[in-house]
Amino acid sequence: MSDASDGARRAGSVVRAPQSFVAGIVLVLLGIFGIWAASDLPRGTLGAMGPGMLPHWVAIGVATCGGVLAVTGLVREGAGLQTFGLRGPITVVLAILAFAMTIRPFTLGPVASPGLGLIVAGPLAVMIGGYATAEARFRELLILALFLTAGCMLLFGDLLNLPIPIFPTALIEAASGKIPSRMMLRMAAGVLTLAGLGLLALQRRSARQGRIDVASHTMST
Amino acid sequence: MTDLLANLGLGFAVALSLQNVTLCFLGCLVGTLIGVLPGVGPIATIAMLLPITFGLDPVGALIMLAGIYYGAQYGGSTTAILVNIPGEATSVVTTLDGHQMARQGRAGVALGIAAIGSFFAGTVATLLIAALGAPLTRLALIFGPAEYFALMVMGLAFAVVLAHGSVLKAVAMILVGILLAAVGTDLETGQERMTFGLAFLTDGVDFSVLAMGLFGVAEILRNLDQTETREIARARIGRLLPSLADLRQAAPATLRGTAIGAILGILPGNGAVLGPFAAYTVEKRLARDPSRFGRGAIEGVAGPESANNAGAQTAFIPLLTLGIPPNAVMALMVGAMTIHGIVPGPGVMTKNPNLFWGMIASMWIGNLMLLVINLPLVGIWVRLLKVPYRLMFPAILMFCSIGIYSINAQPTDVMLIAAFGVFGYGLIKFGFEPAPLLLGFVLGKLMEEYLRRALTLSRGDALVFLERPVSAVLFLVAFTILAAALLPSLRRSRDDVFTEA
Repeated sequence: MSDASDGARRAGSVVRAPQSFVAGIVLVLLGIFGIWAASDLPRGTLGAMGPGMLPHWVAIGVATCGGVLAVTGLVREGAGLQTFGLRGPITVVLAILAFAMTIRPFTLGPVASPGLGLIVAGPLAVMIGGYATAEARFRELLILALFLTAGCMLLFGDLLNLPIPIFPTALIEAASGKIPSRMMLRMAAGVLTLAGLGLLALQRRSARQGRIDVASHTMST
Repeated sequence: MTDLLANLGLGFAVALSLQNVTLCFLGCLVGTLIGVLPGVGPIATIAMLLPITFGLDPVGALIMLAGIYYGAQYGGSTTAILVNIPGEATSVVTTLDGHQMARQGRAGVALGIAAIGSFFAGTVATLLIAALGAPLTRLALIFGPAEYFALMVMGLAFAVVLAHGSVLKAVAMILVGILLAAVGTDLETGQERMTFGLAFLTDGVDFSVLAMGLFGVAEILRNLDQTETREIARARIGRLLPSLADLRQAAPATLRGTAIGAILGILPGNGAVLGPFAAYTVEKRLARDPSRFGRGAIEGVAGPESANNAGAQTAFIPLLTLGIPPNAVMALMVGAMTIHGIVPGPGVMTKNPNLFWGMIASMWIGNLMLLVINLPLVGIWVRLLKVPYRLMFPAILMFCSIGIYSINAQPTDVMLIAAFGVFGYGLIKFGFEPAPLLLGFVLGKLMEEYLRRALTLSRGDALVFLERPVSAVLFLVAFTILAAALLPSLRRSRDDVFTEA
């Protein structure tokens, strides 16, 4: 879409603005889906609108917009389709799913997951999610995961007292009555922080041995 | 006048309590932080922090959330000037002249004038909210369902006109938003709509889930596509206080920017976004030598910066007086208020004067704090920019997940943010803007309710919207601006306003 050759190449084909055209078709399908989804609801009359009235007409509106958009895509020159990254969306979705499945016991149809709490779900999300970019480095992500999880446990669990499970359900049952949960939380956060600090120190040392560059970026203020 | 003073007195008494001052400071600090960091916006942050405010009293909670919002406007300009990356959408224009000033070694002056302009605008906007609050609330009380419906239609019409790019795409987004809002149990009949028998859809789609998906996760996905180019201005920031000559040059621009931003901010339909663009255009037209713009003209920083801050604050007016959120952040405020059992609208002022005036007073205090947070600490904020994105987004991801989970303790909510994230990524890729969708979603439920009520009262006569004078005028305005946006000549100038930047 930036240069003339692109436009000239596309002038031969029927679709002149692929982006608008495809977007329009998707909207039409969405509208039809909406009309179908609302079809079993009574529409009522204007004086006594039923639950189906508004969804029905709004869905028709969506489909109409899509239709017009698709037609303009045929008539007028416009932007081409953009490239979609696959690595990013797939990894990020996997990370969020991993968090959702492990944070507390959860059954979705035939799949049941054990509740592992924030102490597992948090690092899992960070570690998986981090690989959404090609620049990901395992050790760096591990350090980040340890620090973030410790911080979040203290912030959300201890300080703010949010009802978010911190530990695996099995562990909580085993420890109940023996160790106060607050104490356990703080100890675990401390262990995570120490582990993170240890790894950080290791990385610093190996970095120093490897390259001597890493000029300190001093910011003059 | 004495009423106003008494009310402001009450407001300051509430806002100056130790707890509220601390919360206001925290909000401003977090706001500046996310304003500085590109890729984290106020919408996702407020959605993330919503559960944290459950334990607070409503006044404190809203003071903090408001602080995050206008704090982000301040922080956004810091990165715009120093790094040429607008931290927030509203500071896009500031990059033009602000970054040029930084390149000429006048970064400090640009930051200083932005902060001073913002503070001035914030003060004026605070007074404006206080002054307009009472009359608008009285006006709201005579509004019937027909008027409310018409007002929301007008708001959505503005949202369409103010959205970037194709008008048709913006309309489609709003309709999709309204359609999404219809999912769940119908309020009047109790019938389940479009839930496909899925239990987690019975209560409909949670607003914060949608917002987090469209603005948190989708934003991460979009940023991952772009290779990172962050060139931090290595030059000295220089002195922060502008000279007298600078001030004299910037003062008229600040005044005009404040006026433009304040007026646009009141519009229901996210007028605040347009403020900086409009202010910049005005300054350029009025300038004796327009060619200076884009090369470090101080008016090009002062005008838009004042406009953006004024608009951010006057956007509270429709929310507090009419109960209609003009943009997505205000919609989250509705969520926060509802969680605390407060119904946004004309009743807030009479039933919760503490909340209403306390929040207004806190805005002024917050602006004062921001001046302190921003100017001396600018070095720290710049250093933060060095955190690479590859470390930042996993953190955002984790905070989003925790935040959404703690709202309802539902793993399905967390999964939904992933789904909406991918959906939002697709929208961006196809040239749609997610903001109108969110606004349609927010107003959709209210609109249907008022539409039904108005039509029941009129016994099914749709002409009621044109027979009642106020609603007829509102519909006329909506129709006119929509038609104007479609006219070729005006459309071109509308594109100009956005592309000139």
